[in-house]
Amino acid sequence: MFQLDQKSTKPVSFDLLRVPLLGKLLTMKHARTVVQIPLFVISVAMILHGLFGPVWAPKNLATTFTWVHFRGALVLVLLFAGNFFCLACPFMLVRNLARKFFHPVRNWPRVLRNKWIATALLITLLFVYEWWDLWSSPWLTAWLIISYFAAALVVDAIFKHAPFCKFVCPIGQFNFVSSTVSPLEVKVRDHAVCTACRTKDCIRGTREPAAPLVVIQRGCELALFQPRKVGNIDCTFCLDCVQACPHDNIGILSRLPAAELMTDGMRSGVGFLSKRKDLAALVIVFSFGALLNAFGMVSPVYALEQWLANLLGVNYEWPVLAVVFALVLVVEPLVLIGVAAWLTKLWATRKRSLISTAVRYSYSLVPLGFGIWLAHFGFHYLTGLYTFIPVTQAAVADLGRAVLGEPRWGLSGLAPNMVQLFEFGFIALGLLGSLLASYTIVATENVGHRTRVFSVWAIVSLLMAGSAFWLMSQPMEMRGLVLGGG
Amino acid sequence: MLTHEVSPQPPRVGPLTITLRIADASGKPATGVHVQLEANMSHAGMKTVLAFARETEPGRYSSTIELSMAGDWLILVYMTLPDGAKVKREFEIKGVRQL
Repeated sequence: MFQLDQKSTKPVSFDLLRVPLLGKLLTMKHARTVVQIPLFVISVAMILHGLFGPVWAPKNLATTFTWVHFRGALVLVLLFAGNFFCLACPFMLVRNLARKFFHPVRNWPRVLRNKWIATALLITLLFVYEWWDLWSSPWLTAWLIISYFAAALVVDAIFKHAPFCKFVCPIGQFNFVSSTVSPLEVKVRDHAVCTACRTKDCIRGTREPAAPLVVIQRGCELALFQPRKVGNIDCTFCLDCVQACPHDNIGILSRLPAAELMTDGMRSGVGFLSKRKDLAALVIVFSFGALLNAFGMVSPVYALEQWLANLLGVNYEWPVLAVVFALVLVVEPLVLIGVAAWLTKLWATRKRSLISTAVRYSYSLVPLGFGIWLAHFGFHYLTGLYTFIPVTQAAVADLGRAVLGEPRWGLSGLAPNMVQLFEFGFIALGLLGSLLASYTIVATENVGHRTRVFSVWAIVSLLMAGSAFWLMSQPMEMRGLVLGGG
Repeated sequence: MLTHEVSPQPPRVGPLTITLRIADASGKPATGVHVQLEANMSHAGMKTVLAFARETEPGRYSSTIELSMAGDWLILVYMTLPDGAKVKREFEIKGVRQL
């Protein structure tokens, strides 16, 4: 279960694939399909109930599962394990089936091999969530799921490998960034074995000797070469590399959460973090978007929206939301990160450009951003933990027979005041992670005036954490269409 | 036919009194109706509030429910008429505010 250090017998890493039974299950040939099928069935039920079931969100599987249970379970699994949602992704089940009929030969265009499209889609998703009140509409939620299936199918039917996961999917990008703070990582057990390996099946896969176009086992479709892979960015935990490795040399190993954000070496399939402006933009949207999304559920947002509407002279919502989004996702990061990067450049002995400095240090915000998402999604999940029971009971009863019993509508979850303690704890944990990350980056960047530079980035994290604490202590308010729907 | 009033106005978090006036097709007050109320928020995952309404005068039914959170609420009214027939109606209480 624990990987052993080469020179000593001291256990250095826990390996999930060495856990009896669970390890066997995860390394089975069709393990991924086995976990995808239940999620696919649930997705279909959500779509059908969303389109044809009750129009009220608390009564519908689509809204209850998507906005309460899926989001909450997702962040908790990311916190305690890793990117296992991508492993079980039902969209990929359909795509894999389609690949039996479609054999794409085109490569994803080089100019699009970055996170810009995915970042724009993540912003769009956050925007329409607020604009159309997706959380209150089973019908729109169902169409969101259908759109996801369609997009995954179309993109991966045209282009080979896995461009939808790597360059398009906003949920995938959320998971990639979040999983940098996860305690587990798919990685090589013994690098010496890889050095001696001649076939490199983990990246190439294996093909039929007589028919080289016939794939027997896929290698990594996201271009992560295991011996040079660092961290969880772009890793879907699909375990294709585990299946492909002829030496059984890849495991799911424990590691220090967020440590990968502090180093800036060359990473297979990713490159240098400090040179990835697109990835930094994604991280900034992820971190500040956490504040924005939480802001959308508290009372002060309505006062602000009304004030902005009066200022702009409009009585419909999208221009007001656009201003709020621009303020939080553009102006606020520009000011906070811009000033911090400028001061860092001023004091640093190692000279990077202003942009490069901003990019390098922006990764330190990930733990705090994740802590805020965790606090927000965790709140809905824990306070509504048992609400899936009556909704499922009612959905089954609507089919004709109440085989699961009469719906128990009184069920909810943990008391909100109790959950608020968890919320504060998650934010505090995220703040601690961000402070440690920025401290380590300062130390490894070999800048002058370390204390000053660290203080600047610590202030950025403290300001964001302060905003998050304030948001989570505000009375929650879920309203749709405060202004007009236009 | 069902009409409703809520108090206080504007509605706010805390106890909310709902008064229902139920009449038959001819407009005559409907007496002896068993009335159950169910209050839900517009967001999934919030606790459902259940209550019964008491007939305070012929055709007039009243109940007090505890609104736990600010926002939009949906009230479902389940009525069982004296002849056993079941009727369901719904109405919204929008913009419940936190004091």
